[in-house]
Amino acid sequence: MRVLIVEDEKPLAKEIVFFLKENEWVCDWAANFLEASENIAVNPYDFILLDLGLPDGNGMDLLDEINDHQKNSLVIILTARSEVSDKIEALEKGADDYLPKPFSLLELQARMQAILRRKSGWNNEQMVVGEFTLDTHNSVVIHKGERVHLTKKEFRLLYFLLVHKNRVINRFQLAEHLWGDHVEDEYQSNFINVHIKNIRKKLGEYASVDWLETIRGIGYRIQL
Amino acid sequence: MYLSSKMVLFNLLAKGVILSMFFISAPFLFNHFALKNTDLQLDEKKEQVLSIIKREGMSQFFSEEDTLSGFGSYNILKEEYILLEKIQDPEPLDTIYNRDRILENERVPYRVRAYMFSFQEDYFLLEIGRSLGTIKDTENIIYKILLVTFWFFLMMTFFLDIAFNKRLIEPFRQIIHQKLSQIDEPQQFPYQPVKTSTIDFQLLDSSISEMMKRIQKSFNQERVFISHASHELKTPISVLQSQIESFFSEENLSDKDLDRLMEMQSTVQKFKKTVNSLLLLSKVNNAQFLKSETVDIALILEDLFEEWESVAEDKSIDIRLLTSESFQLKATNISLCTIMLQNVLINAIKYTPSGGSIEMSGTPCNLGYRISIKDTGPGISPELMEQVKTGIVFLKDAKVDRSGFGLQIIFKIALYLGIEIEMDSGEHGTEFNFCFHE
Repeated sequence: MRVLIVEDEKPLAKEIVFFLKENEWVCDWAANFLEASENIAVNPYDFILLDLGLPDGNGMDLLDEINDHQKNSLVIILTARSEVSDKIEALEKGADDYLPKPFSLLELQARMQAILRRKSGWNNEQMVVGEFTLDTHNSVVIHKGERVHLTKKEFRLLYFLLVHKNRVINRFQLAEHLWGDHVEDEYQSNFINVHIKNIRKKLGEYASVDWLETIRGIGYRIQL
Repeated sequence: MYLSSKMVLFNLLAKGVILSMFFISAPFLFNHFALKNTDLQLDEKKEQVLSIIKREGMSQFFSEEDTLSGFGSYNILKEEYILLEKIQDPEPLDTIYNRDRILENERVPYRVRAYMFSFQEDYFLLEIGRSLGTIKDTENIIYKILLVTFWFFLMMTFFLDIAFNKRLIEPFRQIIHQKLSQIDEPQQFPYQPVKTSTIDFQLLDSSISEMMKRIQKSFNQERVFISHASHELKTPISVLQSQIESFFSEENLSDKDLDRLMEMQSTVQKFKKTVNSLLLLSKVNNAQFLKSETVDIALILEDLFEEWESVAEDKSIDIRLLTSESFQLKATNISLCTIMLQNVLINAIKYTPSGGSIEMSGTPCNLGYRISIKDTGPGISPELMEQVKTGIVFLKDAKVDRSGFGLQIIFKIALYLGIEIEMDSGEHGTEFNFCFHE
């Protein structure tokens, strides 16, 4: 899949490109409005990651060009601007999601996958981990046809780890995914530990959960 | 009490006091003037009688044979009498006095005009009397007529005052309602002037509008500043965070490298949360959140309970939830409501010691819906509470509350969303009460 990253901050753009390439995306980078406009007019993209604050123009205006030339592209707005009117305008102009900076690259990838699933009509996607199946549409975990009760947060935590399987996800990334930026960091690790403990306990009553690994001092990983 | 009510009440009381004073003194005044009037009438009658005697002699009163028995005459109701008698030992007399007369075994008080005069070498005493009862009756009738008239006047002016004051105060009421009390944010302010011919209200209206223009200007400047500050602060954090995450994904990192990366990540997270909290406070102060959502507030409480129950239980805290029924809160912001309640709950879990308890409840109340979150933690110091109430962002007790923003965020969101908040904190624990108005 091909993605256009419209971002004037070179170090950030470099990291996003590097991260997405590792995840087998084909990436183009446009550092300003003009370059982005040219790319949008010439190349077909599956995804466009669009920063609003560009040095030579307003990223919001590029949404009109995207609507003209890239009708099938999926757009995520990446911005450090905080005005709620920006968010409303972007979504009204057809953006698929709005991710405020600073964001985790894992969060970006999870959002991209979620949009892809939604747009592709994969609402009934089922993900398998060990003997368990995650029904992403209904947010439930099933073991041999029997529903395993997890809270909403526990399901989201398990799902996020599964989306990024075989990768160590640290406590900060997990906490940010669950609660955003308004929970005191000192206690986040405790909260995450409790939720992981509950997931292990609840799933452990049905089958082994040794695929859910603790990386001491760092975080957790689903190893498949 | 409203200004118009006060004005009407003042008018009513002022008139009431004046009229009461009048009615208290009225009997004495009436009596005085009635007697004066009666005296004048008696004088006139005396002059009439003397004029008749001068013109026609005594033949109207005495027969020629009997001039010693005197002349006396009462009208039919004994209200007036006239007495004329010849006297042997004349003493000058020209006076008015009250005297009782016995008539048919009944004592009747009279106002009497007595006058001694000489006629054809004889001396006569003339007495003309008028019943004091008749005078009193006249006084009472006048008193009653005045009482009714003044009572009617008082009522009429009371209702006229109400109508006039209402009309007079209407522009002032419009200024208060449309331009002050209903304005939560400067953007809502209506600049069209209120129609009034009262110069004072015109001045008030234009002064408020001018003031609001200045507030709106600084509000917009603040908004632009927040937007720029947000961009300038968040972009480098974003770069740092992405770079650290990229390092994490590298293979063959030693434990030492991972520890260092975690420390870096922790520092970036703290920085990020501080910036986000400051921006959240600024944005709430600057009314940059929409209030257009409808939410079942009891459901938020239930979700939070489900989310944090296990964390509390892991700390051996007895956590309970009591919700009676759902409550639809309109024109609000779900994210802010959740952040506000979640911050209170997380603080409760953080500070309640093992073995303590937390009680969450949601119940309907007179004004709408009340949510209470009560813990048995050590409580918040009065000094810290004072800082929160005075709006100090960087709280002094930052050792306890890390960043120190948590309480500020709770209070600012409540203020912005129009949620009444009460907090009771002491050695017994802390209780937050939120009243969500219907």
